[in-house]
Amino acid sequence: MAAAGSGAGGGGRSFSFKVVLLGEGCVGKTSLVLRYCENKFNDKHITTLQASFLTKKLNIGGKRVNLAIWDTAGQERFHALGPIYYRDSNGAILVYDITDEDSFQKVKNWVKELRKMLGNEICLCIVGNKIDLEKERHVSVQEAETYAESVGAKHYHTSAKQNKGIEELFLDLCKRMIETAQVDERARGNGSSQSGTARRGVQIIDDEPQAQSSGGCCSSG
Amino acid sequence: MSLKSERRGIHVDQSELLCKKGCGYYGNPAWQGFCSKCWREEYHKARQKQIQDDWELAERLQREEEEAYASSQSTQGAQSLTFSKFEEKKTNEKTRKVTTVKKFFSASSRTGAKKAAQERNLKQGQLGRERNADNILRDLKEIFTPSWELASPTEGNTAQLGELSACSTEIHEAKAPSPSINRQVSIETDRASKEFIEFLKTCHKSGQDIYKQCKIFLEAMHHKRELNIEEQSEYAQDFYQNVAEKLQTRSKVSPEKVEKAMDQIEKYIMTRLYKYVFCPETTDDEKKDLVVQKRIRALHWVTPQMLCVPVNEEIPEVSDMVVKAITDIIEMDSKRVPRDKLACITQCSKHIFNAIKITKNEPASADDFLPTLIYIVLKGNPPRLQSNIQYITRFCNPSRLMTGEDGYYFTNLCCAVAFIEKLDAQSLNLSQEDFDRYMSGQTSPKKQESENWSSDVCLGVKQMYKNLDLLSQLNERQERIVSEAKKLERDLIDWTDGITKEVQDIVEKYPLEIKPKNQPLAAIDSENVENDKLPPPLQPQVYAG
Repeated sequence: MAAAGSGAGGGGRSFSFKVVLLGEGCVGKTSLVLRYCENKFNDKHITTLQASFLTKKLNIGGKRVNLAIWDTAGQERFHALGPIYYRDSNGAILVYDITDEDSFQKVKNWVKELRKMLGNEICLCIVGNKIDLEKERHVSVQEAETYAESVGAKHYHTSAKQNKGIEELFLDLCKRMIETAQVDERARGNGSSQSGTARRGVQIIDDEPQAQSSGGCCSSG
Repeated sequence: MSLKSERRGIHVDQSELLCKKGCGYYGNPAWQGFCSKCWREEYHKARQKQIQDDWELAERLQREEEEAYASSQSTQGAQSLTFSKFEEKKTNEKTRKVTTVKKFFSASSRTGAKKAAQERNLKQGQLGRERNADNILRDLKEIFTPSWELASPTEGNTAQLGELSACSTEIHEAKAPSPSINRQVSIETDRASKEFIEFLKTCHKSGQDIYKQCKIFLEAMHHKRELNIEEQSEYAQDFYQNVAEKLQTRSKVSPEKVEKAMDQIEKYIMTRLYKYVFCPETTDDEKKDLVVQKRIRALHWVTPQMLCVPVNEEIPEVSDMVVKAITDIIEMDSKRVPRDKLACITQCSKHIFNAIKITKNEPASADDFLPTLIYIVLKGNPPRLQSNIQYITRFCNPSRLMTGEDGYYFTNLCCAVAFIEKLDAQSLNLSQEDFDRYMSGQTSPKKQESENWSSDVCLGVKQMYKNLDLLSQLNERQERIVSEAKKLERDLIDWTDGITKEVQDIVEKYPLEIKPKNQPLAAIDSENVENDKLPPPLQPQVYAG
């Protein structure tokens, strides 16, 4: 599922990943990405025009990663549009508010839907945001972590306000996505018959010579 | 034109799977039920016929023109000498031009693609007004000049490329059996090719290869024109993928450069293919366009409040942004290259973000953005929305569509359209009754608000709502008058009935006895017949007492 391209000059590989942010309105999805990409929170000096599509370039162990973070509308009425957003994404960050039991339920619904639609190819992160409001916690740590484990997701505690846990969350997610991409690539390298199934939509611009056979139009070049 | 409608009207039953010509091969609804071979023959025949018709039409028109001219000249003969001279000059000019048109048409066995335009123009020319005819001729010339000139500059450029010239001649040869690639050249296409070649010059060695591949691809696409659009799309996607891959692995071009090259390639091939693959007749894209358009029209009453749009249009700057966003999204339809269409969507999104930022003074999140985009789409009702979305999905360079910022906005647009299609009472926080009433046009939520509308709302709309108010008031009054009139009528009837009844009652109570005429009261005095029978009057008697 990875849109990974080989780096040109250097020996390092480069990956592009699409990550969707899911969660109810008001759980702090936007604050989370703004903190991560701009390191700002409720700041009057935020220069970005919008916080719905943000990118971040990372370098993890010599591998260059282009992260595209897609925010989604959290209102209930837009729930049905989810599949249009998370199609072809490599990772999903499911955010809930630790003071709001309801928002955790929503996360559970999303997990179910994502696993059903995308299988295990997508890396899931369940994020309990607003840990600065620990006193008003309504979702127990124990419950959330056990749930995350049971669905093969990782759980994180964050606070966009205090800038806690966010850097770790994204770094971890990137590492996992790289891993998945590499596993996927190897699998495709072995079973070449599988190639071309993911042609449309997901774009594979990697350096596996898988499309060579179908390249009728450039065979003469 | 006639060909177009003819093709669209065909429906093939499930049972008629075999080629209609009975050649034994399977037919395809996309080919009117013919198999690929027979269809090509049929299509060719139809095209030939069309060309023949065009030619005849042109000839007839020319005759008519001349006749009209002759008659107009005979009537104007008495006019001043200078004027008739001028007219004469014009006639000469005109006949010359008409012959040029004829020449165009005789050549149109090769240049048939413009026939629709020509036909239309010529039909207008039938009006017989020479001025009009002159204009049309000029237009026609404009249409054709680039095609005269195209071959030379392109070749000139390629010659400058040195190495390229060899391959270009080769391509010209390859193109020979399919003149339609040459033929459909418009100014825009011409510009795109020039730009493309300019760009390729900067690519040195790989430029030649890219050019060759594109030409081969276009040639192949030309032959695939009769195929199902999804197959064509698949082919184009493969092409993008292969070229990008080749550039990366073989030519060792940097990723940035590859991206640039891919953009140029997309522009070059899609300006050429647009006409054939945008809203093709073999799909129901057009039908879907109409459905969406109708749907948006039916939803004209949706207010920003219902969608929770975080944009305050009372701020002049914001309403300005909203207008700009609407303009951008409408403009999308006018672009040919998928990437340019995407750029329009992105531009529209930027204006939306600006509007949100001015209103809320914080960066817009998706929670704000999507409702606003929906609102903009509802307000703008952009033309051929579905066709555009389909076209972009089918023919845009996929790496851009799936990961880039443009891709994100495009996805949001898809979401907006999906939302509009499925929208119901619940998604607008309305009761089902209200929703139904608004949908059926019985009431409009805006009517109640018309009082406190902001000053920047279009005057006409304001006036309209005022008028609507007045009308409904008048309607009310009229109804009241009618009901009162009915009541009056009823009262009148009741009154007459009442009177009649009363009179009858009285009459019954005191029946009118009409005494015979021979017993008038006066007779008592005149003829005292009975008096005679009366006993004699009593005489006073005196009693002794």
